[in-house]
Parts: sequence; structure tokens; C-alpha cells
Amino acid sequence: MRSPFAYTPRPGPLQAASPSAAVVYLGSLTAVAFLYSSPIVLAATGIALVLAGRLAGARTAVRAALWMGLTLALLIVFVNALVVSRGETVLARLGEWPMLGRVDVTAEAIAAGAVLGLRAAVVMVAFAVYSACVDPDRVLRALRPLAGRSALTATLVSRLVPVAAADAARLRDAARLRGPGAAPVGRAPLARRLLAGSLDRAVDVAATLELRGYSLDVLRSSPGATFFGSQGTKRRFTRGAHGRRSRYDRRFYAIGLVVLVVAIVGKALGADAFSEYPAAEIGTGAATFTVAAVVAVSGFAPLRRRPRHTRSALPDRRTASNSLPAGGGI
Amino acid sequence: MQFATSTRAASALALTGVTYTYPPANAPALREVSLELPTGEFALLAGRSASGKSTLLRAACGLVPHFHGGEIDGRIAVAGIDAIATGPGELAAVVGYVAQDPETQVVSTTVAAEIELPLEMRGDQPSSRARAVEEVALALAIPHLLDRAVDTLSGGELQRVALAAALVTRPRLVLLDEPTSQLDPVAGDELIWLLRRLNEEWGVTILLAEHRLERCLAAADRVIAMTSGSISFDGAPRAFLTWAQSTDDALETPAAKLFSLCGIEPLPTGVRDARRTLSSADPFDGGESDPLRTACTFSAIRPRPAPSFPPKKLREEGVRLPSNPALDVQDVWVELTGGESPRDVLKGVDLRVERGERVALMGRNGAGKSTLLRTAAGLNEPVRGRATTSAGIALLTQNPSDYLVRERVGDELPGDAGLAALRMVGLEHAIDADPRDLSGGERQRLALAIALAGRIEGEELPGLVALDEPTRGMDRARKGDLVDLVGDLAGRGAGVLVATHDVEFAAAFAERVVLLGDGVVIADGPAPEVLSGGWYFATEVARVLDLPGVVTPEQGAEALGPAGEFAFMRTGGLKKANSPSEGRG
Repeated sequence: MRSPFAYTPRPGPLQAASPSAAVVYLGSLTAVAFLYSSPIVLAATGIALVLAGRLAGARTAVRAALWMGLTLALLIVFVNALVVSRGETVLARLGEWPMLGRVDVTAEAIAAGAVLGLRAAVVMVAFAVYSACVDPDRVLRALRPLAGRSALTATLVSRLVPVAAADAARLRDAARLRGPGAAPVGRAPLARRLLAGSLDRAVDVAATLELRGYSLDVLRSSPGATFFGSQGTKRRFTRGAHGRRSRYDRRFYAIGLVVLVVAIVGKALGADAFSEYPAAEIGTGAATFTVAAVVAVSGFAPLRRRPRHTRSALPDRRTASNSLPAGGGI
Repeated sequence: MQFATSTRAASALALTGVTYTYPPANAPALREVSLELPTGEFALLAGRSASGKSTLLRAACGLVPHFHGGEIDGRIAVAGIDAIATGPGELAAVVGYVAQDPETQVVSTTVAAEIELPLEMRGDQPSSRARAVEEVALALAIPHLLDRAVDTLSGGELQRVALAAALVTRPRLVLLDEPTSQLDPVAGDELIWLLRRLNEEWGVTILLAEHRLERCLAAADRVIAMTSGSISFDGAPRAFLTWAQSTDDALETPAAKLFSLCGIEPLPTGVRDARRTLSSADPFDGGESDPLRTACTFSAIRPRPAPSFPPKKLREEGVRLPSNPALDVQDVWVELTGGESPRDVLKGVDLRVERGERVALMGRNGAGKSTLLRTAAGLNEPVRGRATTSAGIALLTQNPSDYLVRERVGDELPGDAGLAALRMVGLEHAIDADPRDLSGGERQRLALAIALAGRIEGEELPGLVALDEPTRGMDRARKGDLVDLVGDLAGRGAGVLVATHDVEFAAAFAERVVLLGDGVVIADGPAPEVLSGGWYFATEVARVLDLPGVVTPEQGAEALGPAGEFAFMRTGGLKKANSPSEGRG
């Protein structure tokens, strides 16, 4: 079974964009999540990412990330409420707890935990959209001339992670199918067996890379640099044939930069007005809403523009037909 | 392509006195192998398991010794390049390699990137890469797959992508290691004829290692047989069959066995060859053919619908079924989620397997065979209907190694229950062995013992024993052992349900065949009838003779009788003569 976060090729703008453009766009939203503590801006960032993911067709990835992120957020809220007793609004006094000491559950600790949890969920959605929409082959191809060995490692990992996940699922099934008289399989033997299998897989993948010519000198060249290949011919290492620049690149670069600039300027102007303790206060100034609005609207970036027809270019409905033009030419 | 141009005159592959030993081993895997493969030849590499076929292929692409290490003597030249002095990366310009398991030879996320990778490694310009990818995709009929993620492809599609990645640099030599072992008969035949077309139209030299010789012998120009690391035969396909007949019957094809049982010469290299020989042979006038008779002999070849007896239909007809079946599947629908969209893999399947019955479950890749077995074992939950087993199920999945997690057989199967299971599969002598030291067949039996352990009461087995593709990568001799094991399990009262692509194996062990197509049972009947009623899901003997119910060489020989007794009928195809008048038509 495929992971919901696995990259799926689709004809959308985000998938068509070059890896750097997609990274700038999604990275700018992730940066906002780390820069801001205002729940309003964080919620807007989350909305933008969910919107971007859905417009890019990564509904399953977004849904899975939201499910995992919100579960993690609830855990953070719960733990924060137990371990932090600061805040003016005490909701419950739970007395002395072993290890934790005196436990007072405050509304402020819950609010602070919620902000931390919201940030974690937003970052998870960002990575889910990246994982499902950005072609890892193109990312690795972009990295290869810069750091050949790291790219090789990344290639192995990117291939072996889903394979190891499939192997683990198979091993779990085999463990379930063992007869009641066979020795039960605990986690340790299963993990050992998975590791041994992964090493075998890694050897196979390395052999394939070797057969594809990964060890040739070409790899160690920088992008665009002229060099002499292994057969002494003059060659140039360039962008992949299936990695051409996309017409959507400029859109994603521009929106990413706008989001980043607005976020930084907004931060300087006090848009991130939020304090947890002693009493939770959320800034609701114009700057906060402006930043939130810009960030939320940026979620429409992967929207595909429909072909535009001018009125004069369209045939008259009353006279249009599918008949051949005069003379029979097509 | 610099290498290919400069070495155009050299033979595609030349080995001279090559002896090779893997690093931890004492005995050599290749012994004094000398071989020359001219450019443009289609050669088939035959031999039993562990005879050195894969090692020879790995030596020809440079993985041996550069990747595996070990000691090597002799000379290997690939298109004139010294393969021992040059690494596999440099050899990649002139040789392509396709391994048995396509899963292990795909390194990219999308099909286009995977095919483009060797060109990128070579430093080709984007425009020439784009053209090469497009052309190889067209040649292999996979342009529609270019934008797909590799982990969404079927086994057959993945094998084609691996072949495309091997061909995209337009190598002079392509090496293939059992590429059809995971493919259904349709995809397997398609792949072999695709290779033949590439060989004829592109002039690519092919060296293909295969166990299912009946599938590819007709396409080959030459056969090289290996025994214990040495070349034991090197010659034309027809001469190979004569050699196999006297030396190693595990390498005989079913049609050749049929002919040798009937005493008909020459031995056929394929279905077409066999039919031609039979249609031209005339036992009564020394071989002169009658054009009318020749035209009529095989005119009746039509796929006949197999008789069907699904349980639902039988119930509707009021047939009383035994009350305690090994497996009872009623209107089962199973939905699986693969990526974004869930799909129905089983669509209302009805199936009953009785205790002691031997059933083959067949169908194309993705037809739902494994899903049906997993549903019977409780690994998949049906969204509708139910699958019940009366006395438990032991399921052996496609990879027996998944069951082996400890370093001693006795630790996998402790106590009396474990010992009973080991006895059941005849492995009690290996209780102190490391599972990794067992042969492939023994590992499979050990995995079966693990699935059976604790489910054996006295001499009684679980109600159903299910095996999923147990013959992958097996030679014919090991398949014979498996047929015996299946017979033994059924003889002890277990219903045996085996999902397989191997029609010859199914004909050997099964009394009934269930054919699945896109999640639906499309045929269910006695094995001889189902396996003789079609074209792809039919044995080689059935395709040669086209006689209802005749699927094995022995049945074929019985139907034909010794040469001189069979007769050609002007209207009914080939029939055994019952009387002198019938015999002359």
C-alpha cells in the first residue's frame, strides 16, 4: 500500500514548478509558522497550506497530515497543561503528582500548548504538501552537481524508505500468519530482520546505480560547467530533460517572496502580538489581520488558470458547427 | 555513443577461460567458461538453479568482480572492452542489465526520471535525453507510463520500465535474468516477443537466462546450458532439446517431451514448430502432406469457454454441497486503497474449496489472486460478503524469507508442535541449521512448517493450505518436489489453494483451476478443461494439440498414441484413431 505522503505526478502548477520555486513557496509558509506565535496568523498559515494542498490534488496527504498534526497538537496541549502551572486562570487544582509536583491546570497553559500544537500541525501539513507534490527526482537532480555523495545518499534513502515500509508491512503480515506453535516474533527480531533486509535492498539499489553509470566522472561536475567526460568528449551537465523550467515558477517565487516580506515587515510592526502568561492576550490589530489575510490568500497559488478566450475569438453560438471549413481543409 | 562506435567490429560478448569464486565461498561459481556471442544474436541461457547463470550475466555487465569482489581468472570482453579492467559504470554504455526482481532495480520516483537516469549519468544533452526517452518508451509501448510514479506500477509494467532503462543508451548487449518469473503468461509472452523484435529491428544482442524454456525457446537463435558453473551445451535450440532429452529431463520443454513420448522427430522448439511438424507429418505415406488435410488439421483452434461451477450457481441449481468445506467464500468484495483512490480488487467472488482438493488460482497480474488468499487468511477485511474456513488456514505468502527471523531452525519452531511441523515438511534433520544455509526449496518448506505449527492435530492438517506464487525462480526439478508436497498435503486432508502464473505447474498439481479476471471469477472447472480451453492460460501441449482435456505431455502422448496410430480428420481437427476407417479419414 502506498504512503499517503508519497509523491504522485499530476498536471498541477505546484507539481510542474521547479523544485526551487516549490521550496521557496512552501518554505515561506513554513517560515511564517516559525516566525509567528499569533494564533490568527498560524491559523491563516494552516488554511493557506490546506488550500494549497487541496488545489494541488494532495487531499489524502493533507488529510493524513491534519489527522496526525491535530493528534500531536492535542498531546502537546495535554502535556503542557500538566507540566506548566503558570497563568492567572486556574481551571483545576489536581494536587501533588509524583515527578510533576503540584499540578494546577490553567487556561493560559492550555492556550500556550494549543499555539505550540497548532504550529506543529501547520509544519506537518507543509511537509505533507511538499512530499506529495514535489518530485524528489528533480530535487535530487538539482542537488547532484552540488553534492554528489549527499545526493547519492539521498537517492538511496528516498528509494529505500518506501521499500522498507513495504518490507515491514510484509514482515508484519508473515508474523501474523505464523502458526500458534511457532515461536512468537517480538519487535526486536522483526526489527533485526527488517534491518538485514534493508541492507540487502541497499546493495541491490547500489548495484543498479552502478549499472546506470553513477560512478562516472560526470556526477562530480558543477551545473553548467564544461568538462571532459570519461570518454574524453566535451560535455555539459545541464538540467534534466523532464525537469525544464515551468511557466508557474515565477508565480511561486513571487508569492513566496511576498509572503516572506509581509511576514517580516508585519512582525516588525507588531502583527505577532500574542502573550501566553500571566494572562493570554491575542493581538487583533490591523497588522495582524493584514498579515493573516495575505498569508491565507497565498494558498491559492497552485490554482490552475483556465484558458482565457476573448469574446471575439469565440464562434457565434448560433452559427458555430463542427462542419469542415469551405474547401475541406483542416 | 563512443564505445559502441569504436568497437562495432568486436563480438558483443567474449569470455575466455573465466573462473570466478564469490568472496565467502570455497567452490567457484564459474569454472573455465569460454563463450563468444556475435553481435545481433538472441541467446538463451538455460540450466538448473545455482548452475551459474546469474553469475555469468553479472560478470558480463561488470558487477562481477567489481561490485561483488571475489577472485576471477580469465578474460571478459564486452564489445571489445575489457570488463575485468573496466567498471560497470563505463560498461553501461555498451551493456544493459535487467534483473529478476524489478523492484530492486528501480531507483527513481517517476518512470521518466528512471529511464532518463543512465543518459544523465553519461552527460547527454537534455534534448538528446528527451528524444531517447521518448523513443524507447514508444518502442516498449509505455509512453502512457512516463509520468507515473514507479510504486504505482504493476510487475509487468515495472519490468518494462527496467528494460527501457537498460535500453535507453542503445547498448549492443542486453542481459536479462529471468525477467518473466514474476509475470503472468500474457505479460511474459509479450516481453519475450518484444525482445525478439528489438533483436531483429535494432540489432541488439540478447542474452536471456530463463527457467520457463517453453516460453522463449522459439525466439532464440542459440541455447547455452550451464551445469555446476560450466557450459555443458552450446548450440541450436533443436539440438539443445535432443541434448536435454538424453542429459537432463528437467530442461525438456513440454512439447518436446510430448514428441519424444510419441517418438516424433524433430523435437519442436515451440508451439508453431510443433503444429507445423504435426500438420505435415503423415504416418501412413512417409511424410507427404495433403494440403486439404494440413489446412484442416488445426482449423478448429478456438478458445472454448471452460465449464463453470461456482458455488452460488450450484446452490441455485439445488446441488447439495458438503457441509464442511475447507474454504467458503460468498459474494466477497474487497476494496484496497492505493494512493489517492480506493478501488474494488475483488468484486463479488464466490468460491468453495473442499478438504483434500487441489485448486490452482490463476489470472493476470492484478486480477486479485493474492487479495483473495489474504482475505481468506483474515489479512484483508471484505467490505461485503464473507470468507470462512472450517478448520483454519495456513498461508504461505510470496516471499518465504519473510517468515524466517531467527538464526536456528529449532528456535523458529520450538517444542513438540514445532517438531511435528518440521516432520510434516520433512525437515526434522535440519533443526540445528541456520535458515539462511538452507536451499530455496528447503526455506520454502520451513516457512510452510512455521505457518502450519500448532495447527496440526495428530496427523490432521489445517482445513486449507494456501500458497501464493510458490514457483517464482524455481527450476522444473524443484517444481516437481513442490507438486509432490502439494499432493502430500491434500492426501492428508487439507484443501490446497495455490495462486500461480505457471500453467505447466498448475497442470501438474491441480485437479481444478479457478481463473480470476479483474476481481471476478471468469472460469472455474477441472484443470484439464480450463487449461486446454484458451490461449494464454493453456499449457504448451494444449496449445499444440488443441484437444479438450489434454494438457500434459503424458495426456498428449496418450491421446496421440505412438506415431502411426494418430490420425487427421478433415473436419474435427486431430483425433485419436478408434478404427481403421476413422484413421484414414
